[in-house]
Amino acid sequence: MNRSDPLVSFARLVGDFGNPFYDEERQRDVWNEASAFGFQLVLWCSLLASTVLVWAVGAPALPYAMGLVVLVGTASLLTLGYAQRLGVALDTPRMTWRRMAPLLLLVLALSGGLMHASIPGDDFSSGFGQGMAVGGLGALLALGLATRRRRQS
Amino acid sequence: MGRTSAQGRTNDVRVHRTKAGLTQAELAASCGVARQTVVAVEAGDYAPSVYLALDLARHLATTVEALFDGQHAPLATPGGPS
Repeated sequence: MNRSDPLVSFARLVGDFGNPFYDEERQRDVWNEASAFGFQLVLWCSLLASTVLVWAVGAPALPYAMGLVVLVGTASLLTLGYAQRLGVALDTPRMTWRRMAPLLLLVLALSGGLMHASIPGDDFSSGFGQGMAVGGLGALLALGLATRRRRQS
Repeated sequence: MGRTSAQGRTNDVRVHRTKAGLTQAELAASCGVARQTVVAVEAGDYAPSVYLALDLARHLATTVEALFDGQHAPLATPGGPS
């Protein structure tokens, strides 16, 4: 654990962890759960909105859809990074299929949509969209391999 | 029910608080927590931290084990050993 880590310091600043609100333990725990709920809701809604955008609107929606994905992706990475700095690693392969299946389907649909919407153009956002789609599929593949390795060991 | 819950475990906080003649609000104030926290602990909806458990035990003149061991042992008679 390294509380002087820049990411940890940044998180403490943004999260206002020194606020007296956090002194009351049940209040803090309940608020943490509420925040986790809110974060998951934003994550799912953003992925869903991006998927709908690329399939319904097509190429013109690419910058907005990718912007949303980059935003929630960055927030997710920072969340994971903070937890990891404090010694808590997300054990993704331990997630149940029931929990993972909707997420996998959504990422698949989003990757497909990005690829579909990117094909007609050869500008920056199209190339970026194709890259993101390939990256999404790669992430799914890596997750599948990690899950398989975990079950074999 | 979230991860802060006591997962249905019961405790004797209410019994000891009543015996001590304290209201939930008074016990909460002396432990520095919200009344809702004491309500949740008594209802088995919230597992307190070890520090709050110690505080509760101290203010109820008993031990953490007596409050939370789940044995629901009969209370000591007034004037007897605590």
